[in-house]
Amino acid sequence: MAVPPSDNSKMMTNKPADAGRESAIDIRFGQVGLVQVRIRTTDPGAILDELTGRIATAPRFFERTAVCLDLSGLEKSPDVAEVRGVIDAVRRAGMLSIGLTTGSLGVEALSGALQLPVLSHFRAQRESVPTVQEAPQPQPPQPSESAGLPALLHQQTVRSGQRVYARSRDLVVTATVSAGAEVIADGCVHIYGALRGRAMAGAREDTTARVFCQEFHAELVSIAGVFRVFETIPPELAGKPVQAWLDGEKLNFSRIGG
Amino acid sequence: MTEIIVVTSGKGGVGKTTTSASISCGLARRGKKVAVIDFDIGLRNLDLIMGCERRVVYDFVNVIQGDCTLKQALIKDKRIETLYVLAASQTRDKDALSPEGVRRVLDELTAEGFDYIICDSPAGIEKGAHLAMYFADRAVVVVNPEVSSVRDSDRILGLLASKTQRAEQGNGGVKEHLLLTRYSPRRVATGEMMSVTDVKEILGLDVIGVVPESADVLSASNAGIPVILNEESDASRAYDDAVSRLLGESLPLRFVDEPKKGFFARMFGG
Repeated sequence: MAVPPSDNSKMMTNKPADAGRESAIDIRFGQVGLVQVRIRTTDPGAILDELTGRIATAPRFFERTAVCLDLSGLEKSPDVAEVRGVIDAVRRAGMLSIGLTTGSLGVEALSGALQLPVLSHFRAQRESVPTVQEAPQPQPPQPSESAGLPALLHQQTVRSGQRVYARSRDLVVTATVSAGAEVIADGCVHIYGALRGRAMAGAREDTTARVFCQEFHAELVSIAGVFRVFETIPPELAGKPVQAWLDGEKLNFSRIGG
Repeated sequence: MTEIIVVTSGKGGVGKTTTSASISCGLARRGKKVAVIDFDIGLRNLDLIMGCERRVVYDFVNVIQGDCTLKQALIKDKRIETLYVLAASQTRDKDALSPEGVRRVLDELTAEGFDYIICDSPAGIEKGAHLAMYFADRAVVVVNPEVSSVRDSDRILGLLASKTQRAEQGNGGVKEHLLLTRYSPRRVATGEMMSVTDVKEILGLDVIGVVPESADVLSASNAGIPVILNEESDASRAYDDAVSRLLGESLPLRFVDEPKKGFFARMFGG
């Protein structure tokens, strides 16, 4: 999904650290990777067959995995009974349906009838769904819209173990990002200091996002989920101002200014 | 006004307790009223370094749990009039510390008119270390010139910037200082050890002291005399400089370069 292999389950937690007593609950905003199953038929038998076949390749990985059903690949919008059949097939394959993705006609009605939440797609909506326009729903900001939000400015050193996330916008760090620290943005990441930790741009798969830094010593750089780990830093980049961008599936790095 | 200074590092064995002992002696020698508290519950060491281990009757946990008064638990140093030690408990574990209890003890010390409270943090980032730093106004981060110590210090600096009372209240945060210990100019020159400049650059902080690697530190610890009191030692002078800098003086760093050999030493081998 969008973010490389590190633990991305708590992108940004803003828990008021209370040295005193523990509160009964913590409400936290978190982003988790989610398996999405896009179905092209509502035939439970066909779905179960295919899922079982796929799962056989990595059985433990899919065991009780939460999945989100994407109905946008269907010819016509399914009725409640059909979707129930699909959910049952998915469950028999060992996975648990926890929601429906947006972007298909009648999904709100299905959501109500099935008591399943509608989860918004991070990825740009697919063009193959003509019904999208007819069902205007709140959609996540598209990459191009993110330019409207001012960048998140972070002026302190990002220390080992810390994580800074700029949601739906660029991130500007005017200090160093230490080894073991992570800076993440849905837009571009700009670091006017040394980058010794991890930088992830386009966390919601904006492939045009870039990473810029003043002094390159990165552990990992990722753009829209395509990442590269630096066990050793190429000598032509080490300590230099560097930018990274995505060209198709290839992550490119070059020095800035000669 | 009382200032609470935590001596911390993340990594173990870098010299936190040695530093706590020497800094508190250095401050007390300048006439400040100083209490030094061992937060390493269950692994008490500070009393050994301070040479008062046979006078520990009550400890920090006893005060927190109300078994005794603070006055009963504070051990007055025999060498310096204005220095007091609050030992850790050897028989309890870190769960005996509570935030309210620690706050109460610190408040009481403040009310007693102490100028400085030095909190000697345990290694790690668990409860003991957290409580040692939570109420601090300033932090002395002890770091050895090697990569794992630097990494751990970076982590600690991150916690100081987020998990302390000052950070939470947003009133300027904890003022951070870097203290390098076990520094060997010779090994830096041969590239075996990170230099002051390297460490400063990675951690992005100013250095308030560089304590050279010295056999005097070990012998002072074993004798129960904080190394700062051994006037013959380079380590003592380095710690004394660090205390001056803590108090706002600006002094050039000493003991960071390999001593230059004189003509005769060069001629005849030194």
